[in-house]
Amino acid sequence: MSETEHEPDVTVDSRGATCPGPLMDLIGKVKESDPGTVIELQTSDDGSKSDVPEWLDEAGHDLLEVVDHDDYWSMYVETN
Amino acid sequence: MTGYAIVLASRELSRVQAVSTIASVAAASDVPVEVFATMEGLLPFEKETVESGDFEVGPVGERMLEAEDMDVPLFTEQFAQAKEIGPLNLYACEMAMDLMGQDLDDYVDVFDESLGVSGFLNRAQDKQVVFV
Repeated sequence: MSETEHEPDVTVDSRGATCPGPLMDLIGKVKESDPGTVIELQTSDDGSKSDVPEWLDEAGHDLLEVVDHDDYWSMYVETN
Repeated sequence: MTGYAIVLASRELSRVQAVSTIASVAAASDVPVEVFATMEGLLPFEKETVESGDFEVGPVGERMLEAEDMDVPLFTEQFAQAKEIGPLNLYACEMAMDLMGQDLDDYVDVFDESLGVSGFLNRAQDKQVVFV
């Protein structure tokens, strides 16, 4: 498993869900989180890698890091 | 631009599913969406059709229904979930309902109300109209 320096405040497990599942799960979590919250989104949906950054860009939150775990990705997000 | 007004006039599953997917993400992102299901676009919402899963499908829709390795929520679930978290309204076309001899009770519980053309146009005034 890959190492990361980021310690998430909350983890969202969306593995197995297809578009738009992981993104919808992330949006729901972002909405209920205070600014500065670090969220780890776990997704096995290939499309998340491009679509989540697009959404974050527009919504004004930060993508800290994407970690490849072979059969899924961890996307670390910090809310603003 | 203050959101989207989507006219859904097709019964084909992949089109309906594309509408629910785009509408859901938009509404969850606080972009207002009005969906007007008219003509054949009303048929996939019939309770009987949803229960039997007897949709009109192309290759992608077929794969979607069969996929056991992927969790693909049906458009009805997507709409219901998105309505909970964002500005999303669904309307059933009165004329199509009359033609089919049906009322709102015959459809799954996602519609806010039935609507005529003027009602839809009023709600679409300040929005980008998308015809599917």
